[in-house]
Amino acid sequence: MAVFDTPQEAFGALRPACVQLTRAQTLENVARLQAGLAAVSASALQELQEYVLFPLRFALKVPGPKQERLVQSVVECMASVLAATCVKKQELLQELFSELCACLSPPSSTSKPASLSEELKLAVIQALHTLMHSAYGDVILSLYQPSTLPLLGFAVSLLLGLSEQEKAKQIKISALKCLQVLVLQCDCQEHRQLDEDEAQQCGDLFASFLPGISITLSRVITGDIKQGHKTTVSAIRLFYQIVGLVMADEQLARIPKNKEKLPAERSRISELMVHRGPDWSRSTAEKLCLLLHKMVEFSSVHPHWKVRLELVELVQHLLRNCSQSLVDSFSHLLKALVGLVNDENSEVQSRCNEVLQGIAEQGLVAQNRALADILSENLHSLATALPRLMNSQDDMGKVSTLSLLLGYLKLLGPKINIVLNSTSHLHRLCRALMQVLELDVTDVKIVEDRRWGCEGTCGPSGSVQHGVQKGRCQKKYFRFFTEEKVFQLLQQVCRVLGYYGNLYLLVDHFMGLYSESGMYRKQAAMVLNELIAGAAGVGVDVLQERETSPNMDDLKGSIVSILDEYTDQANWYLITSIDTEVSHEHSVPCSGLTACPGGACSSVPLPSPEPHVTARTMNSNIWQICIQLEGVSCFAAVLGKEFRLLLLSALYPVLEKAGDKTLLISETALGTLADICEACGYNSVQCLINDNSDYLVNGISLNLRQLAHQPHASQVLDTMLRHSDASLLPLVEDVIQDVLSTLDQSYSNQASTFLRVLHSVMTALVRWFGSSCGEEHQHGQSRAVSQGQQAVTRQELEKFFLDYIRQKQIAEGNLPDPGDEETDEVPPVAKLEPNNSDTEGEAPLPSHAQLAKAVMERCIHLLSDGDLRVRLKVLDVLELCVTVLHPHGNHLLPMAHRVWPALVTRLISDDPLAVLRAFKVLCTLAQKCRDFLRQRFSKDVLPKLTSCLLSQAPASARAGPVYSHTLAFKLQLAVLQGLGSLCEKLDMGESDLNKVADACLIYLSAKQPMRLQEAAQSVFLHLMHVDPDSTWLLLNKLCCPHGYEPPHASLRPVKLGGMGRQRDEFTHNVLLLLERLRQRESAATPGAAPP
Amino acid sequence: MALPPPDPQFVLRGTSAAIHTLHFSCGSQGPDVPTLFSGSENGFIHVWNLKTHRVDTALDGHGRKSVYCVETMGGKDRLLSQGRDQRICLWDLAEGRTSVTDSVFTENVGFCRCSLLKVAQGRWLMAMAAKALEEVQVLELPSKTSVCTLKPEVGAKLGMPMCLKLWQLNCGSQPLLLAGYEDGSVVLWNLSMAKALSQLVCHQEPVMSLDFDSEKAKGISGSSEKVLSIWSLNEQQNLQVYKTHRLVNAGISDITIRPDKKILATAGWDHRIRIFGWKKLKPLAVLDYHTATVHCVSFSDHRNPSERLLAAGSKDHRISIWSIYTQT
Repeated sequence: MAVFDTPQEAFGALRPACVQLTRAQTLENVARLQAGLAAVSASALQELQEYVLFPLRFALKVPGPKQERLVQSVVECMASVLAATCVKKQELLQELFSELCACLSPPSSTSKPASLSEELKLAVIQALHTLMHSAYGDVILSLYQPSTLPLLGFAVSLLLGLSEQEKAKQIKISALKCLQVLVLQCDCQEHRQLDEDEAQQCGDLFASFLPGISITLSRVITGDIKQGHKTTVSAIRLFYQIVGLVMADEQLARIPKNKEKLPAERSRISELMVHRGPDWSRSTAEKLCLLLHKMVEFSSVHPHWKVRLELVELVQHLLRNCSQSLVDSFSHLLKALVGLVNDENSEVQSRCNEVLQGIAEQGLVAQNRALADILSENLHSLATALPRLMNSQDDMGKVSTLSLLLGYLKLLGPKINIVLNSTSHLHRLCRALMQVLELDVTDVKIVEDRRWGCEGTCGPSGSVQHGVQKGRCQKKYFRFFTEEKVFQLLQQVCRVLGYYGNLYLLVDHFMGLYSESGMYRKQAAMVLNELIAGAAGVGVDVLQERETSPNMDDLKGSIVSILDEYTDQANWYLITSIDTEVSHEHSVPCSGLTACPGGACSSVPLPSPEPHVTARTMNSNIWQICIQLEGVSCFAAVLGKEFRLLLLSALYPVLEKAGDKTLLISETALGTLADICEACGYNSVQCLINDNSDYLVNGISLNLRQLAHQPHASQVLDTMLRHSDASLLPLVEDVIQDVLSTLDQSYSNQASTFLRVLHSVMTALVRWFGSSCGEEHQHGQSRAVSQGQQAVTRQELEKFFLDYIRQKQIAEGNLPDPGDEETDEVPPVAKLEPNNSDTEGEAPLPSHAQLAKAVMERCIHLLSDGDLRVRLKVLDVLELCVTVLHPHGNHLLPMAHRVWPALVTRLISDDPLAVLRAFKVLCTLAQKCRDFLRQRFSKDVLPKLTSCLLSQAPASARAGPVYSHTLAFKLQLAVLQGLGSLCEKLDMGESDLNKVADACLIYLSAKQPMRLQEAAQSVFLHLMHVDPDSTWLLLNKLCCPHGYEPPHASLRPVKLGGMGRQRDEFTHNVLLLLERLRQRESAATPGAAPP
Repeated sequence: MALPPPDPQFVLRGTSAAIHTLHFSCGSQGPDVPTLFSGSENGFIHVWNLKTHRVDTALDGHGRKSVYCVETMGGKDRLLSQGRDQRICLWDLAEGRTSVTDSVFTENVGFCRCSLLKVAQGRWLMAMAAKALEEVQVLELPSKTSVCTLKPEVGAKLGMPMCLKLWQLNCGSQPLLLAGYEDGSVVLWNLSMAKALSQLVCHQEPVMSLDFDSEKAKGISGSSEKVLSIWSLNEQQNLQVYKTHRLVNAGISDITIRPDKKILATAGWDHRIRIFGWKKLKPLAVLDYHTATVHCVSFSDHRNPSERLLAAGSKDHRISIWSIYTQT
């Protein structure tokens, strides 16, 4: 574009325009010059700079009122000249500067800027901006001499006025930009760096403007939000730049105490100069503090993120440059900075983190005692206000409050101990944490949720494994907040405390709180857990590394003392349910010296039962135990393999809780076990238990000696059995013997507790050795089938005929029909049985069977216990014993013999529930001891049962709907339900079957209650299995739906009792049964017609 | 009312055989873990770590024959064990080694535990029942040279020696031997003259165990009867019956006076451990835990008195550890 490269050519081109403009100052002339400028190269223009500027300056200087448009275009034209050239003379710079400023000043020197058009203002500001950029370094510095102070002051006040009072955003921003250049803080890179002395000089100079600038800027910053974020951002930037320059610690440090005497001729000007002595800086800092406070308050919640980002920069800049001079303001500044860590905008967040990181890395806080004091003061006041804030704020507010707290702690870093060493600070902080962490303990469900499989007959092993997952913290419900983030922040607070703080001091203090009152116990435990995690550096997010990490022994020492406290009886055995058993166990007075799990002895008696334990208390206790269990998890994770040494004392209590009946506790404890496994390097809970069974067994055996601890010991054993396999048996055999011998000493009061153990022992044995019992099952059944077949005369008859036909066919020369080898199979099975029992008699009984025998022995004694629940449990255990002993007939039979009398009593004169269970036992027993039982059953039990059934039948037939709630009904039902299967199992003789059938027949009456009818039907269905023919006959005596034509005239006609009978009360049920019988028969022998 | 007796602090199990002898080694300084040695019927010597309460090593040196005496010689690295295979073994356990360095063939078939006395640095005297039925032989260890053989006078009919106790009044003075015999008598032997100084019939039955307090010049012995016998040694080296104490149940298999000479413990056939005050033989406690005969009792040698322990080994395969120092 540049056409004229040489000054001569350029001169030729520009001269006419310049001359014209000098003659007549019109818009057109200015435009012409402007157009001419465009065609001149920068180097050429540089030569002609003053020449070209002259007409423009002249135009401005012409006295009299001027057209605004003209002034504007002149100024713009000047700006374009200046943009292309450099100002190399100091005088020219000063003159231009003052002339441009004059454009904005009102003709009469009123304080307000002239009411000029916005375009003109903008043009002037931009021209000033350009001017400042076109001056060379040395030249520009000439502007910053004491002598030019009035001029500068004028410009500054003009620009400030514009930036504050103008409406147009662009003017405001340009004015601020221009000011920025004016105080030599331009963002662009063109400027030369000032050396120290120059900077000092400028600082001295600008100090005079500081009050004006800072006050005006603070007004701009806190002004209407509608002014746009850019203005605010620029204002903030300018603010911190000027403050950072004037109040720089480096500069202030070099200021002499007393004002230098300046040469006399400059004395007037020197009055304007400020001496930045200590007094001045102190008072200025105070004033700035007020301004900063206002600004920070306002802009930290500014809706636009760039403003907040700029605020972060402000804090950083001031912290870096004025950390001593502005120390009082940092309370606000740091608060804002720390608060912005959680800004919704990620850029602000990350910048904030960077700045914090920078602060920490430079050790600003660590080296600056005053700053640490400020932080600790802030911390103190925040801690004081925390409970109130937590009460009143919403979750978002709580998050920001807590992140503030966390930020303070992080910033303090290793200096945290200053805070902790002050009792008042520590006290406040603790109190605040205690109150904030208060749990909500109103949920009743936690108390109600019971563990499954505890009372059930068979603990499903699959679901037990399912429960053992990686231990996660149970979700807690807090009184003062619901947001998960709040809890995470609190966690971080505690961890950071643990990370930097003096662990002994903290642990000691919180242990004090823990034992001080029940109110704080849960919270204190929670805090302790997190402290330890933090001390070990687990899951803690900090700004700077601590100087020394605590050694393992210290950590272990603290952990051991906390663990001791947690597992202390008073804190471990809390009332968590109001079960009769549990309350019973608690009411047992603690006798004498008590053995703590794992050895540490203490003589604290168990907490005496409070008269009214509310759901709230129990909930609270449950949570406390859970938190303590989580603590154990955490300690294990911290210590890793080192924790193995602590298993001696820690494993037993955890297993105890894993067997707890409250769901939450047992689940937490299982999680803890999983965590311990992981920490100590065990593959599974089973490995953990097996490898440490010696510790557990020791605990169990010692605790069994204490009446009050027996239930716990049994829980531990129960848990061990649940979570392990047969390999555990040799390890615990010893202690099971202990259990049995302890049981022998206290049948009366502890029976139910021990039965639970026996039950779990037997369940485990069945589970571990069940397969061998199972085989035996099948054996027995196959024999039953084969015997059943022998009794069937119809089949014999059929076979006879078939054989006959086959023989005949063979005789005739046909090949024999392959298959049908049933008959061959029967003898080997029958032979195998006696062989088996012979060898068993000689071989020593395996240990699990010995145990089963020993348990069965105890069951005999307990079968007649006064408590129904105990009896029921005993019957369950008995059944399991029988199952385990199945393969060892030689041992089972004598035991069965001994059990029999007690069992008979259960069968014939006990609660229906017990009768039912006794039947189940009998059925299990029947599989093995068929011969032994058959006779005894028909002699001892059957007559009583049948007579009872017969005598009760009329009563139940008459009875109304209420009858089903009576004991008699339940008994009838129990007997009817059990009798059928028993008859089948025992393979009863014909006469006994007839007895049974007779007794049950009346219950087929429609007059009987429906459930009894159904039960009676079930009896007959079983009888059909045993002897279908006689059942058929019996039923047909009552009712015969079909007539039977003899196949041949020579045979006598069939006459059945039921033929031709009227429809009566039995008809319905009998027809139903006959139909079932027919179906069964046709299914068994397809194609065969009923006989 | 007196406190009820405490429970064991811990029970060590896992030897799977009856325990016949126990010996503590907890006195060393430094990071060494306190250790307990136990000898059991199946011929194993178990080295228990009292920190983890677990067996560190099991030593097998007596051909699966019952081990009925274990002693340390100096530190815990040198061990002496006596078994029913008629051998006394010397072990080197330093740096994880488990080797028998030397052994003495006793040729004695009895149950008499040997007795060890340190007479100088690296020099011990050991008394043991010899091949001939009534004789006691004293050897010097580790050289195994015979010092003397103690034969009762012809016709004394003492029977086999049942228990031995070597002692000396103070370091450097003449070592003496107390021996309990099958006929119930206790004999004081002078080793240098190989001569019986005094003989006292304490029991009607064989003396099962004895211990002697050289400071008070008083000793105690137990037998299969219901009696504990306390006897004293006067200036003229004569044994005199000082007192007898009747027990409820018969049979004492071991007696140990605590190193501080304040109390003593007995291991009873009635499954109980009894604690007495040594001065007046005041019964202090009956420790009831075992379910079979208690074979041995031993006090630990911890430097810190509050850590000291009592251990008892029993036929029921368990070793019970008690902390009774704090209570007395």
